[in-house]
Formats: sequence, C-alpha cells, structure tokens
Amino acid sequence: MTNVEQNILTALSNKLGEKILQIQTPQPRKVFVRVNAGVHRDALRVLLDKDESAGISAITGVDLGEKIELMYHIRTHGTIVTIRTEVSREDARIKSITDLIPGAIFHEREVTDLFGVIFEGYPSPKRLILSENWPKNLFPLRKDAEITNIEDKLEKVTVLDEDKRSSDGGTLVNIIMGPQHPAFIEPEKFSLKVDGEIVKEVKPRIGYVHRGVEKAAEKRTYLQDIYLVERICGICNACHAACFCQTVEAIMGTKAPPRAKYLRTVVLELNRIHSHMLLLGHAGLEIGYESFFQYMWRDREPIMDMMELLTGNRVIASFSTIGGVRRDFKEEKIPKIKVELATLKEKMSFYKHLFDRDPTLKMRTKNVGVLNKREALKLCVVGPVARGSDVKMDVRKDEPYAAYDEIPFKIITYNEGDSWARLMVRLDEISESIDIINFALDNLPSGSYRIRVPRIVPAGEALGRVEAPRGELFYYVKSNGTAYPERVKVRTPTFSNILSFVQIAEGGNIADVPASFVSLDPCFSCTDR
Amino acid sequence: MTFIFRVLIFPGFTFILLFTMFCDWVERKIEARMQNRIGPTYTGPAGILQPFADFVKLLAKEDIIPSNTKSVVFRFAPILSFSIFVFALFFLPIDGSNVIPHSSFEGDLIFVLALISVANFFLFLSGWSSTNPYSAIGATRVLTQFLGYDIPLFIFALTSAFLANDLSISTIAASQNVPFVLLIPWAFALFIITLQAELEKDPFDVPHAETEIVAGYETEYSGRRLAFLKLAKDVQIVLGAVIVVELFLSGPYGPVFLGLPAFWYTLWFILKVLFVVMITEYLTCVFARLRIDQVLVINWRMLIPLSILSLVATVAVAFWLNPLVV
Amino acid sequence: MLKEVLSQIFRKPATQKYPEVKPKVPDGFRGRQIFDIDLCIGCGLCARDCPAKAIEMVDVEGKKKPLFHLDLCIFCYQCAESCPRNAIKTSGFFELASTNKHELVVKPQINLQKRSEA
Repeated sequence: MTNVEQNILTALSNKLGEKILQIQTPQPRKVFVRVNAGVHRDALRVLLDKDESAGISAITGVDLGEKIELMYHIRTHGTIVTIRTEVSREDARIKSITDLIPGAIFHEREVTDLFGVIFEGYPSPKRLILSENWPKNLFPLRKDAEITNIEDKLEKVTVLDEDKRSSDGGTLVNIIMGPQHPAFIEPEKFSLKVDGEIVKEVKPRIGYVHRGVEKAAEKRTYLQDIYLVERICGICNACHAACFCQTVEAIMGTKAPPRAKYLRTVVLELNRIHSHMLLLGHAGLEIGYESFFQYMWRDREPIMDMMELLTGNRVIASFSTIGGVRRDFKEEKIPKIKVELATLKEKMSFYKHLFDRDPTLKMRTKNVGVLNKREALKLCVVGPVARGSDVKMDVRKDEPYAAYDEIPFKIITYNEGDSWARLMVRLDEISESIDIINFALDNLPSGSYRIRVPRIVPAGEALGRVEAPRGELFYYVKSNGTAYPERVKVRTPTFSNILSFVQIAEGGNIADVPASFVSLDPCFSCTDR
Repeated sequence: MTFIFRVLIFPGFTFILLFTMFCDWVERKIEARMQNRIGPTYTGPAGILQPFADFVKLLAKEDIIPSNTKSVVFRFAPILSFSIFVFALFFLPIDGSNVIPHSSFEGDLIFVLALISVANFFLFLSGWSSTNPYSAIGATRVLTQFLGYDIPLFIFALTSAFLANDLSISTIAASQNVPFVLLIPWAFALFIITLQAELEKDPFDVPHAETEIVAGYETEYSGRRLAFLKLAKDVQIVLGAVIVVELFLSGPYGPVFLGLPAFWYTLWFILKVLFVVMITEYLTCVFARLRIDQVLVINWRMLIPLSILSLVATVAVAFWLNPLVV
Repeated sequence: MLKEVLSQIFRKPATQKYPEVKPKVPDGFRGRQIFDIDLCIGCGLCARDCPAKAIEMVDVEGKKKPLFHLDLCIFCYQCAESCPRNAIKTSGFFELASTNKHELVVKPQINLQKRSEA
C-alpha cells in the first residue's frame, strides 16, 4: 500500500469512523470502501475536500440477485477509490450525487436506464441510452431481464418535446443536429435552440448506437470478449483489448512478460498516432480546410500500413490477449518502421508551423469553445480535452501500465482551453508518441511474448485503466469462477467528455458548433457501447 | 440564321454549357492535384465527362418537393437563377463580339452586375421557400453575404470602367492595349478576393458550409431542380471568371496569328478564363472556411475601405496611365 | 501552406489506383483462411472459441470438420491460435466481396491429389 492510499484511508476513517463497513485493497492504486446507502455522499465529500482535482470515473452497477450493488469509482491522485454501496432490488433508490459532482449526470442516467436504480434529486430523469419506446420495467443489465420478443413489448411514444417545431413564441429556432448530420460521422442527436446564429441551449441525447456490448460480454467467454470489446470502437480498438486483458490479468494475478508489455506499448502508441491524425484531419474538414484534411489523412496512411505490418490488419489489431500479445515483431521489420516514423516526425513540424501561423485556421479555432480549468474539473473531462484546459492528467503517468513506467515522455498541456489548444495537445502528442515508439523499439526486451493462461478465471474483481487516444478508458470486470464473466463494465472516454460539449457550445456561434465539437474528439459508438 | 446560330450554338447556349462543364472539370482536377489526389478519372479521357455524367445522373433522379414549401418559388427559383446567369453571359464578348450582335450598350456593365444580384436573390429565395431550418439559415447567409460583397465588387468594377472611360464591357475589354492587371494590379487582386465571396468559395463558402448547415439553401432540393441549381453555381463561377477577364485581362483580345480573328479570340478567352479559375481554385485550397461574422467583418472593415482607396488611387494615377489606354 | 499547395501540383498523386494496381499485403496479413484438412483432427476447438460463431462443424466422410462462414467471420484468427495442429493458416487474399452469400465459405474439401501422392 502506498502513501497516497494510506492518506486517503486515514482521511476516510477519521471522518466516517464506524460507518465504513469494509476496506479492500486488492490491486495497487485501487481502494474499495464499502458503506451503507446514504453514507456514500459523505464519503464522496471527504474525497472531494481532500483533492480538488478529484473526479468521477464511472458508476458501475452489478446485479447481486437480492440487491443491486452500486460502485462509485472516484479518481484522486492517480488512485481509484471505489465507494461501494447496495440498494434493494424492489425499491432501488439512492440519493443523487450530481450536486456534488456535476460530471456524474450521464453516469447516473446510464445506471437508471440499465439497472432501474432511481437517483433522488436528479435534475432531468429521462432516457439516455435506451430508446423511448423500450418497455418501462425492463432493465437490460439485470440478470433476470428477458430480452426476447422485444417487438411485442415496445411502448407507444408520441413526438418528443424537443423535436417539436419552434417554441418560445418563435424567437428561438430549433435546430436538431443529428442523428444524421454531415458533421457527425456517427449518429447522435443534439437539439440546439438558436437565436439567429447564436446557440442558446443544447440538449444531448445519446444511445442511437447502443449495441448492448456489456450484456453481450456476459454471454461470451473471456477469450471471445477480447474480440468483442475490441469492436466497441474501431479507432481505439487496441486500447480496449489491452485494457480488458490487463483487467483480467489482474484478476488472475498473472503478469504479461516484459517483451509483451513493450510490444503492447508500441501498438497502443501507433493506435494513438493514427487516432489523433484522423481527428486532426477531420477537424480540418469541419472548418472547411480541405487541403489540410487531405494531407493529414495521406500522412496517416503509413501508420495504417505499419499496423498492418505488425498486427496483420489495418484497423482492428487483435493484438493483445490475456497473458501477453498474439504475435511477435520480426526484427527485420523494425528498421522500416523507424524510417517511416522519422518522415512522419518531419511532417509534424510542418503541421505545427501551420497551426502556429495560418490565419484562417487560427481565426476558426482560437478562443472558440473555451473550457476553463475549473469547468473541466467540475465536468470530470478526460484525456486531451482535460489537458487542453491545463489539467495535468494522463493514465500513462498516473498509473503506469504496459511499459510506460520505463519509458520517458512528457505530459502535454496547454492552458488556453479552446479548440486550438485541444488540437495542439494532439499534435504534440503525436511527436511524443513517435519518441515513445522509437524508445520501445530500441529497448525491446528479449524473451517470450506471451504466457499460456487457463480458460477459467478465478472468482474476483478488478479495475483497469488505459489512456486511450481520447482519454481515460475504464474497465471493471467481475468474475464468478467460470469461463464467462459476471459483469463487464466499460466506461469510454467520450462518455465523460460529451457533457462538456453543452458547456462550450452554449453562447457560441452555430458555425462553431462542429468545429468545437470535433475538438472534443467524440466517438459515439464508444459512448453508447 | 446567324443570329440563331450565335444564340443557340456558338458562342451562345451550347458553347457556354460545354465550357461551364469543362471549367468544372478543370477545377476539380486542379483541386485534386493540389490536394495530392487524382480527381475524376473514369468517365471519358482523364474523367473529362464527369461533370456531364453528374448532371445527367441528377436529371434522372426522383424530384421530391417537400409538402410545406412555397411551391411556385421553390419550383422556379433554380431554373430562373440558372437562366439569368446564362443571360448575363450573353452580354460579354466571347469571340470578339457579344453573343447577340450589337447588343452592347453604354452601361451594360452595371446591367450585368445587377443581373448577378438578381440571380443571387433567386438563390436566396430557393432556400427561403424550402421552409427547412438549414435552408433558412443558408438563405439568410447568402443574403447577408451578397448584400455586403456586392458593394466592393461594384466599386472595383468601376475602377476598370474609370480607366477605360466607358461603362460598356466590350469597350472596356477592347480598350485594354495593356491589360489593366498590369496597370492596377492591386484592384485585380482585391477583385479576385471579393469574387471568392460572390462565388461562395473558400474561405467565404459559409452559405453552404456542409458541416454546419448540411447543404444550406440546397438542402431540400433533389433531382433535376438540384441539377439546375448546381449548374447555376457552375455558370456563376464561369461568369465571375469571365468578368475578371473582361475587366482586367483585356477580354478575348490578344495577338492574332493566322486565320480568323474569331478563332484566336475564343482561344485567348478560354485560356484566360482557365487562368482565373485556377487562381480562385488555388485560393480555395489554401484557406479554411471563415465564420459568417468574420466574413462580414472582412467585408465592411477591409474590402469596402480598400475598394474606395483603390478607386481614389486609380483616379490619382489615371493621368499617367491614360496614354496606355486606347 | 501557400507553398505546399503549389508544389503539390507537380507531384505524383498519393492515391492508390486500387482496382488497376493491386496493393501488396505484408505476410501475416489476416485474409481468407487456408484450411488443411489433412492436419485437422476434428476436435472442434476452433468452433468453440470463435467469437463470431462463424465456424460450423460439418460431416466430411463421417468426421466432423470446420466450415468457415466468411460472411460472419471477423478475421481475428483465434481459430488458428486455438487449433492444436496448426491446420488453419493465414493468406493475403482480401477481395472477398461477393453477390452470393453461399460462395462466402471455406469448405473443408479433401485434397484427393495430395492424398494419392502420399
């Protein structure tokens, strides 16, 4: 147990004393504290008082049969403190924490949708993930939910309020962006109220690509789940697989061999480079800078080829597995990769120069969609969005996984908090990633690249975190001692970030909506799962 | 007979249509090469028939008219704006004389510029009558942008007219022994920038910024109406380029080597228009799209003062330049 | 950017002329499977582990052998990894588009010629 964890536990037991029912520290940097329902708010307050940059990572619900367990995963000082509490199944009610942490809004609504837990004092209890015509008392992630013949059980819905035409006596125009809109690659809906060209109100509605991956994961073996979670998001697929494998390895108590850790690092960083370049190019398209978009995606192509060379596929890597990685790098391929990376690094300096100089690009991104540090902390944003608002937070440093504890690199932060800063963070991170890959390839340890693990995972639970290109990716896996997991919880980075869009879009120009939205790097299939 | 031939075949309707499609192809090809792509490839040699194929494809598509549109305006706006653009082209000398012989008159420059404004107004109407929020926003953007940019465009056009001492386009073109671009290069450069805004091209393509407001005023259009709307845009680009050629690049006139002057004039004309199209395409490629408020600020704070300054400067140097003008 | 755009006009486009010029795939590319029926012992591990349930065990001469449904396959090659005899191998063949669903299978066929040679 490290000092940080000790400090947190002392603070908690000083304030709460007898109210703490149980303390567990199964993994390094992970603390589980069990309290009664109601006390969770006090425990949360203690953590928030202690660390102003503490934020919520996720709320996990688990169906225990008689009861439903709720876990509030709070990140503070690079540690995840999990406050666990239980509510009864029949009368699932608990006090909301959104007044303490506004960033928990979506997390709570998700649990309401999927587990039927009602959060008292919650501002707008509407559907978030499930569609409006989903049966009222069917909560998909409860174990006894019968999801068969759904068509017969669907409810009848009339037109939703926000879809109705003009309200407010006609002064404000309703513009509905999505589910299909050219600015969004994936379907998600944002209802904007517009006064002329100024956005007055934004209402997000997600869930259009909800595929029930968490439920599906319970029906498949751990081995099959690797490939399932990989398909939550095509762009950051390697991160999902690596995070899941890491979490399952933590339950098993095994560790991937050193060579596997380095190989994972290389693929994760390649994943990051290609994701960032994709976003930067896309940002160029959103602000009408087509040449920039074409050049960026042209230069991204060698990265895809590298992925193909190393993993056997351009996009879906299928590289990590429980206990290591699935294939080794051939030595003769390494020089070729290094040459490509060197060319890319040169090009990155050209783009950086462009971002510093180009007048039209700066006009469209500077001082647009400003998210200051206080708001960023309040809304618990993660990844480049947080780093663009001067929040120093990176799972690779906070809680090193793979080989990041042995590789030197910097956390890039900018303090402007606008679209430009968020894009610059990504641009600089590409250069940083190139250095990481070079270092990893130079210092590749020898030895085996995977260990064989049994198909059956011992009972237990574990948390895993990975810094995906879009920010902190969070997994919770609970095992019941069979080959099938009891519960797999995935909290993707965009799910945390999407709330900040409301903050940055309101009061801005409608022309800035796509430009500032894309700077958050939203991924809707991640968000909905 | 000559009259009908001139109006329908050359240099009238057919020639203008084919030339528009050719310009569209050049534009796409050059933009592709600037962005390191290949551009249209499959239809015809090097994809030269692609614009034609696109047009025919749209003609064959189903034409949907939303039920709550102002239907008369909605139906006729595309074809009207297209015909007005083509009509405006008839007053510009293409093969040395106007399409309709002896139609040139004192002040047709103002007439042509006014026609452009009217055609733009029809583009606005097409969006406004769609009763779709995206179209409505696109339409208001068209209107705000054209209302502003018509002013500097007009003043820059007057600069040339002033030098030539005439308000008739064919006289202005004919009086350029030395192309005006060499005499008043600043006016030429600023005119091109203003034209970018008139033609809704980057960095001023806000009225149909597809990532913000889908297709702007075109959103509800489909089938042959969309085909004509697109064609109207293409003709407008050609028209803009032709006006630049007439006002600053001595129109279709150039050295005649052998044979008919009309042949050489047409050739010079085509080459010059392509040159202008390439410049506008280059500008499109190097800039990002501005926001509507920034577009307006650039107009009112920069281009209008500059246009007046440029007129004053031209007046000041006109005394020395006049010997160079016929 | 001003210079960059101009210089691009004189450069070769980066576009791959795909249908005319076929790209070369690296070895180890996960394309259509090559199944060697002589190595297969019919254990069915591949079908059990397949995340997409794309492998069906069918009767070939009285023994159970895997049949790959490529329209379901996600090309993860977990089957190749699970196979105790390495009967499933990768190939660089990726042009799998077809208008007929029934063509999209890798059938466990007995290679008669090979057998007679042996």
